[in-house]
This record gives sequence, structure tokens and C-alpha cells, in this order.
Amino acid sequence: MTSRLRARRRVLLVVTALAFIAVLAHLGLLDAGQLAFGARNVAIFTRDLFPPDPTVIGRVGIAILETIEIAFAGTLLGCVAALPLAIASSEVAAGPGSARVMRAVLAFIRTIPALLWAVVFVVAVGLGAAAGTLGVAVYSAGYLGKLYADAMDGVDPEVIEAVRATGASRVQVARLAIIPETMHALLTQLLFVFEYNVRASSILGFVGAGGIGFYLLGYLQSLQYDRLMTAVLATFVAVMLIDALSARLYRWLTDA
Amino acid sequence: MLVDVDLQARAGEIVMIAGRSGGGKTTLLRAIKGILQPQRGHLSVLGAPPRVDGRADPRIGFIPQQLGLVRAETVLANTLTGACSRTGLLRSLLGRFAPEEYERAHAILDQLGIGEYAQLPVRMLSGGQRQRVAIARSLMQQPSILLADEFVSQLDLVTAREILEVTRAIARRGVTVLMTTHEVEMAREFADRIVMLQDGRVAVDAPATDVDVARIREVLR
Repeated sequence: MTSRLRARRRVLLVVTALAFIAVLAHLGLLDAGQLAFGARNVAIFTRDLFPPDPTVIGRVGIAILETIEIAFAGTLLGCVAALPLAIASSEVAAGPGSARVMRAVLAFIRTIPALLWAVVFVVAVGLGAAAGTLGVAVYSAGYLGKLYADAMDGVDPEVIEAVRATGASRVQVARLAIIPETMHALLTQLLFVFEYNVRASSILGFVGAGGIGFYLLGYLQSLQYDRLMTAVLATFVAVMLIDALSARLYRWLTDA
Repeated sequence: MLVDVDLQARAGEIVMIAGRSGGGKTTLLRAIKGILQPQRGHLSVLGAPPRVDGRADPRIGFIPQQLGLVRAETVLANTLTGACSRTGLLRSLLGRFAPEEYERAHAILDQLGIGEYAQLPVRMLSGGQRQRVAIARSLMQQPSILLADEFVSQLDLVTAREILEVTRAIARRGVTVLMTTHEVEMAREFADRIVMLQDGRVAVDAPATDVDVARIREVLR
């Protein structure tokens, strides 16, 4: 390494360290008084979390079930929408012109998080789980559409060429060659997005779009930390169960 | 690049296109199929220039070097793909072909000796069996011409000869077969005609029985 390169790296290191300290100070993380105050609050908050209040487990359980329903229905609706979007966004399936336009559409959909899509649908269809489900569905369509299009672009071009050579139309090539060749990836990505959506759906209630988020926010705002703890623990258990189930399904699919 | 290639083939003729790698064999087949468009010159296949845009002409069967089979799908599903040009959009989307297409596919698979594997995924078959599936898919197109790129190069000698026998039987039904190969000895045994390409030009074009071995050696050197 030349001495000039070493000097450049030293300068970069010093500049980065100074910028880091400046940002921490700006964010209030170097204010000892504020940190001490925060630590006292965390201690009080932690003490009030325990013991969790078991009396709310019934309503929390129902809300978690609704959260899972939102994630399940939203993911499947998103998947149904994602397939044609992915085909139109795949260079090998639809050609480079369509792929460029449709990938921009998918990027736009993904730019807006599921929570914001839920706000849009709360305005459109009113408060409740329907708005949350539609929000998750639209975001999933954007996310799965991109993952699916990437998988489709990875299909061996010779397979596509051979099926196209039979006189098949673009739709037939997609249905009879591209989807079967990518089926494994489509299913595993669907499982991955479902897991992600279960977590994402747990905060949809913050904006009135159904699920456990309604209780999480309510308990937090009304300082009922013991009940908040019950809701958090129940959510954690549900997410762990979904993850385990999903992992089993994944193994079952990949072993086949 | 192909230059001044003048090639005519009769119905039912087996033409082996041989030559060194990079000599233009695959390019020629792809141009005939319409996958590549000639920059200049005239190319007429079945009385018209090959379709370059839109749907490919199903009368021209094309088997690429690696066969292009959908590995996760069954032998039957791969074979039925050859009926796409006769199948409507809804049936295609549902993956359900007309009953007569199933009958035709089973009959072809039986003829090719792989009827018993119809429901097996292609990935579970041997190289020779996969070759037969690729032939079956092309036969489902009811082709007038069959193009096969380096069709038997990756097979052992016995299997390669079996596949070439199958190809000969197809040609007897009036299908013109154009195959690329670098196995000149096998080409001499199975082809009606041998065309050798060298640097994109026709260096040899002769009946397989009359081909000048010394000239072949010279082209391959």
C-alpha cells in the first residue's frame, strides 16, 4: 500500500469519527443529564412491565389471531397480484421495454410501507382489519413482484427459447416454462414474506387498521405497562410459532 | 457469421451440419428457426422467410443443445408444450390441454419408448431419455422440419446411435432433419447429406456416402 493511500484512509477514519460524534451530540446521546433521566425512566418502565397482566389474554389472543389473518390474507392477495406484475416486470418473460416500466411501478409500490398503505385504505374503506389486509396486500404485491421477477429473470434462457420455439405465446411461455422453473423460489419467497407480514401487521393497529397494534398502542398510551407486556409476550410467542411452522414448511418443500 | 451459405433440403432428408466449434453451425440453425435475423441475403424456410417477431412457426421444431426442457415438470407436461400453438389462452393458463392432445402425446411417448415415464419429472431421467422427451415435444408440433443442435454430443455411443435411429424413423415420415454435430463419423453413417461449415462458409456439401474424407480432415484441422 502506498503512503498516499494510507494517508487518505487515515483522513477518512478521522472525518468519519468526528462526524459520528457530531451526530450523536445532535441526537442528544452525549447529554449526560438527559441520559441519566432516560435511564431512570427505563427502570420505572421495566419495573411496571412485571408481572404481566393475565386478565387481558383473551382479547389479546383474539387480536393476535386477527393480526395473523391480516398477514395471511394480505400475503395471498399480494401473491395473486404479484404473479402477473412479475411476469410483466421480467425481461425474459415480457421483454426489456415492459420490464423497465413495470419495475418502476413495483419500486413505487415498495417505497410506501405497509403501514402507510393501511392509512390509505383506512381512508378508503374505513377503520378495521379490511384496511390492514389491503395495505399488506398492496405492499406484498410490490415486494413479491420484485422477488418473483428477479427469480424469473434467472431462468435458463435456453428453456424459454425452446418453449417459445414450439409456437407458444408469451403468456404460454410464462405459464408452462417460467412459472414451473421458478416454482420453488416463488413458494419460499411467499413464506418469507408471510413471516415478514406477521411482524409488520402487528403495528397496523397504530393507524386503526386492525390487529394487536391497537392494544399495543392503547396500553402504551394509557401507561398500562403490565398489560402491554402481556400483549408483547403473546405477540412474541405467536411470531415464534409462525417462524417454526414456516421453517418446517420450507424444509418440507425443499426436501421434496 | 455466415457468408454465402446456400443450402436446400428435401422433405425427409437428414442433413448433418458439421464443422469445428465457432464455424457457424448453431448460428445457421438459429437463423433457420428465426431466432436470429440475417443482416443481409435471403433465407426461405418452407417457402417464406422465418418469423422473427411474434410467435414462432410451429412447423419448425427446434431442439437446443441443452434440450431446453422444464426440469421440474413431468415428461407428459413437457411433451404437451409442443401443442401450444393449437391451444387457447384459457386452457394454457389452466395447464389443461384438449383430450386429443393428451392422446397424441401418449402415442408419441409410446413410439419413443418412454411412455412409462410420462408422469415422472424430467430431472429424474437419464440423458438419453431426456433427449427423447425433447424429440417428443418437437413431434407434438407436427413439424415439417426438425432442427437439432449438437443433439447427441453429450451421449454415450450406444445411446447416441439409438437416438439417431429414432431421428431416422422421423425423417422417413417426411420430416426434414437438420442436425449440427462435430461427430463426423456418425454423420457419415446416419445422414443423407453432410454440410461442413468453415469460418461461416460452406466448405463441403455432399451426399454422406460420397463425402471426401481427406477434405473433411482438412476442414477439421
